[in-house]
Amino acid sequence: MSGEVPENLKYAKTHEWVEVKGNIARVGITDHAQSELTDIVFVEFPETGKVVKQGDEICVVESVKSVSEIYAPVSGKVVNINKELEDSPEKINQSPYEEGWLVEIDMSNPDELNNLLSAEDYKKITG
Amino acid sequence: MLIQFSIYMNLKSPLHKIHEQLGAKFTEFAGHYMPLYYTSIKNEHLAVRRSVGLFDVSHMSNVWIEGKDAEKLLTLTTVEDASRIGEYRGQYTAILREDGTIIDDTIFLHLPEKYMLIPNAGMNETVTQWLNEKAEEFSLDAKAEDVSREFVILAIQGPKSRETLQKLTDFDLSSLKLFGCAIDKVGGIECIISRTGYTGELGYELQITPPDNAFDLFMKIIDAGKEFDIKPIGLGARDTLRLEKCFALAGNEFEGGRTPLEANLSFIINWDHEFIGKEALLKQKEEGVKERLTYLRCIEKGMPRHGYDVEKNGERVGRVSSGGLSPCLNVGIAMAYVKTEYRKVGDILNIVIRNKRLKAEIVKPPFVGKEC
Repeated sequence: MSGEVPENLKYAKTHEWVEVKGNIARVGITDHAQSELTDIVFVEFPETGKVVKQGDEICVVESVKSVSEIYAPVSGKVVNINKELEDSPEKINQSPYEEGWLVEIDMSNPDELNNLLSAEDYKKITG
Repeated sequence: MLIQFSIYMNLKSPLHKIHEQLGAKFTEFAGHYMPLYYTSIKNEHLAVRRSVGLFDVSHMSNVWIEGKDAEKLLTLTTVEDASRIGEYRGQYTAILREDGTIIDDTIFLHLPEKYMLIPNAGMNETVTQWLNEKAEEFSLDAKAEDVSREFVILAIQGPKSRETLQKLTDFDLSSLKLFGCAIDKVGGIECIISRTGYTGELGYELQITPPDNAFDLFMKIIDAGKEFDIKPIGLGARDTLRLEKCFALAGNEFEGGRTPLEANLSFIINWDHEFIGKEALLKQKEEGVKERLTYLRCIEKGMPRHGYDVEKNGERVGRVSSGGLSPCLNVGIAMAYVKTEYRKVGDILNIVIRNKRLKAEIVKPPFVGKEC
């Protein structure tokens, strides 16, 4: 069960998705990930301005039952966080690819997008 | 994000197929592979608080205690004087080591000529062995027998539990007081029926043997509860339900050896009889209890969890034994062992969550009363 996997996004093996707009990468967790976590109740964000490398921990997502680290799928500077989630973390469960996005990263090395998975490949690892 | 699975070496419930059909997600708990949730922990939690839910709690143990000295054996090995507990009555109690620390908390049911003990998941062998050793040591004519694999235990919990279950039995459930029990047919199957549970709500538990009998009964209860929108409930909600009511979870609250005085279980101790561990408890009472279970309600957003430190002015004063989000209050709540001098109701302590300090107020139990 891989849940919904939009074709236009890139995916990390660790279940994050990336949507690219110019040099900005919007990051969230996949439908599969939110469904495994169930009932998300809290998100711990990085400070905006934080510089991260691909694979660094950028957020912590807490569900009723577990704590999960979210890793930066690309390197760059965190330029925006989804403040809506501070009051409504359940939006990650309800709308993982739209309202439930986590952070936006100004990419320092867009070539890294090539290490990420296509929708088709992501479906294979979660199928 | 890492997603972990652990399905090896764990016992499956006799009702495993039903849980799969109902779409359960599973978890490992004390050597058992049981439903964690079916749809959502929060929704299942609220169903039990506001209407009714059905749990398979077959991971719990079943031990028969028989013999002419069965009552004496229970009186010796638990903090209860079993002679006080008449036939068709039950009692929540604890089994202690000589040093006063808790081996397990358990309910025993007094049935005709024998007792059914219901220890925690994975404690069946330890408890059975302990009781048989003590019977021998004290020359008592009593025997404990582990029959955990021969029983399915179902729990029907919530304000609509009585109305749901009453449809399936001629036995008058309203005649059963808290911790009362009976043997009668439910849905055509003979069960031990007890008014017990782990949710703080009106509720009943059924002990069913042989396990195959439970298949039909599980589905009959689901059908009977349809008008109340009954839900099957997993261990996730079982944990949040008991935490809101400040009930101990053996693996968490008794970890590392805790006495009933430390665990705020003084109310179950009957001091008017001799029992294993009594001497140690009297000594601890006299010397003073150094750490006691304390109830913390977060006043900032965050999730306290098992093992997190508790601080006051930068000094470590305790440790969280159980924590989580209260679905009824929508705030973090925790039980923690805190040094006695720092546990005044109304005071603020810090729970250390990763590199942050989260303010939490010390409150009186339970976290959630009648309203949810």
